[in-house]
Amino acid sequence: MSDGAFTTARLHGASGIHFRPVTMERKRVRLALILISLAFLALFLVMPVLAVFVEAFRGGWPAFAEAIFEPDAAAAIRLTLLVAAISVPCNLVFGVAASWAIAKFDFRGKALLNTLIDLPFSVSPVIAGLIYVLMFGSQSLLGPWLKSEGIQVIFAVPGIVLATIFVTFPFVARELIPLMEEQGRGDEEAALSLGASGFQVFFRVTLPNVKWALLYGVLLCNARAMGEFGAVSVVSGHIRGLTNTMPLHVEILYNEYQFAAAFAVASLLAVLALFTLVVKSVLEWRYADEIAATRRH
Amino acid sequence: MNAITPIEAGVSVALGAPIDVTIENVQKAFGDTPALHGVSLDVKAGELVALLGPSGSGKTTLLRILAGLDAPTAGRVLFGGDDALGLSVQQRNVGFVFQHYALFRHMTVFQNIAFGLTVRPRGERPPKAEIRKRVLHLLDLVQLTGLDKRYPSQLSGGQRQRVALARALAIEPRVLLLDEPFGALDAQVRKDLRRWLREIHDRTGHTTFFVTHDQEEALELADRVVVMSKGRIEQVGTPDEIYDAPASPFVFEFIGESSFLPVTVVDGAVQLDGQSLDLAALGSPHGEATLGFRPHDVSIVEDGGPAITGTIVTERRHGGARRLELEVGTEKHRVEIDMPVDHSRAPGGQVTFRPHRWRLFPR
Ligand SMILES: Nc1ncnc2c1ncn2[C@@H]1O[C@H](COP(=O)(O)OP(=O)(O)OP(=O)(O)O)[C@@H](O)[C@H]1O
Ligand SMILES: [Mg+2]
Repeated sequence: MSDGAFTTARLHGASGIHFRPVTMERKRVRLALILISLAFLALFLVMPVLAVFVEAFRGGWPAFAEAIFEPDAAAAIRLTLLVAAISVPCNLVFGVAASWAIAKFDFRGKALLNTLIDLPFSVSPVIAGLIYVLMFGSQSLLGPWLKSEGIQVIFAVPGIVLATIFVTFPFVARELIPLMEEQGRGDEEAALSLGASGFQVFFRVTLPNVKWALLYGVLLCNARAMGEFGAVSVVSGHIRGLTNTMPLHVEILYNEYQFAAAFAVASLLAVLALFTLVVKSVLEWRYADEIAATRRH
Repeated sequence: MNAITPIEAGVSVALGAPIDVTIENVQKAFGDTPALHGVSLDVKAGELVALLGPSGSGKTTLLRILAGLDAPTAGRVLFGGDDALGLSVQQRNVGFVFQHYALFRHMTVFQNIAFGLTVRPRGERPPKAEIRKRVLHLLDLVQLTGLDKRYPSQLSGGQRQRVALARALAIEPRVLLLDEPFGALDAQVRKDLRRWLREIHDRTGHTTFFVTHDQEEALELADRVVVMSKGRIEQVGTPDEIYDAPASPFVFEFIGESSFLPVTVVDGAVQLDGQSLDLAALGSPHGEATLGFRPHDVSIVEDGGPAITGTIVTERRHGGARRLELEVGTEKHRVEIDMPVDHSRAPGGQVTFRPHRWRLFPR
């Protein structure tokens, strides 16, 4: 008590001693740093996003609606939703399984699996797309067989789904692994000693313990799945109304100088991004301690 | 409230009669590092045994092997005469209380305690009303009545610990395993919980293993104390035996405060630097030995008889006594002795004392 009062008196008192916490920079420096970052954000993030919406609505509501409900755009939206609807659940299952294995068990090749999960982060999406062309394209080993069976992977929906899964598979696992590792095996062991079976342990203890981090991971995974351009562009073939996802459709419209329509479709992606951002912030604010990302410095 | 035993209240907490636990030459190695070198122990049904030892002595390892969370490298474990190693964790039916509680954070206190009952297969699961009755009864037993809707994060450390115990008791375990259950709590709470745990044990009668590195806790709580060091059992005995007749300098030093002096036993008498100390060494073999005594078990000698003389190095207050650190003999061995508070002596002075209780360990 008295110690605290003494310190405060020294800080604010008339003694004239100017005390500054060691990690606190001078006022001018602080101000400059804040201004620089705000200006940077405004210039490179806020303005472009605003520009998207301004351009999208330049022709007013009718033009906007027409750009979105026009058959090719509608098909692109449907395809994007379909691809996300397939790839996100796949990565959900993969991510949960991989993180469970890595965080809770010791096995040979654990380090390798852990490294491989990060592969899509380090590989250019274009290469990811090319890999699938090499594997399933008509020139590939599997090509003739696929052709005889009448299965088309490249330049069709399956290829787009595969490429999207590849690009997005780290998202869920990367959220879960640090959290699960930090939580350790204690809860699981307690549940086992209380008589729970492996399944019960997983669904009643392990999963609820990571639910917010899981939701967060799925959200990021979904945003990326819907927005992916590079890998999908390689395997898609850009067939209008058939294999065009929203990002590809935006590009086509743009190349054809249909700016208003391009921005209209782009604004939908921007809305998705903003929505993801808001939910993410809410989750981070509400469940910070249950989400690993906030502790990753 | 304390007068109502669980049995009288109509809800049995223990499942049938408690069982004997036999540990036969259990060994455990993690890779190349041995953690247990052949541990053998017989524990009678309903006994409360404390596993006491310094950090890394293998207490948790032994407990986890009993629970089935780890498998031993060699040896046998018998529950009531039957092999237990062949049983899975779930089949062993042991209540394990973890050092860091391991309460399920997303479940309420009620759900935590009920967990072991709700995960039972449909046929064995008690009806909802029965589960509820049992959980509420257990809450009573651990004196947390009314806190059933709280989450673990809304409880104090001591309360969490009691929930963990209630959760372990709910499955009607055959054996109760407690791994440093009070390790994370402050001294006063530890003392309360200690007394309370002994009471619960007396009421429920489980065969109980209790890990601690606090000798005071072990001596106060246990029927028998197992002192462990470096993966071996040093001594097994009642608290009295352990305290009064420690089998090795290690046990002597670990249990309570101690001072040691290297001495020689000649014709049944103890000598320090060739001088007799007037301490009878009955039954001790001739030759080098270590004399151990407790700082408070000494008397100051002023009559000039045979005794130990030392030079005071430091003097400080120690509880109700004044503790002196002395340099003794030609080799200046450091020992500690206690004196009454009103005997203040300056460092540099000489003190002559004789232990009135001591132990001799042949070297
Ligand atoms: N999973 C493990 N892998 C490798 N070594 C281990 C493992 N668990 C324990 N050990 C080692 O086995 C020895 C005994 O450990 P144990 O945890 O049983 O000690 P303890 O008596 O419970 O100690 P404490 O009082 O610190 O809890 C230690 O040397 C420890 O390093
Ligand atoms: Mg331990």
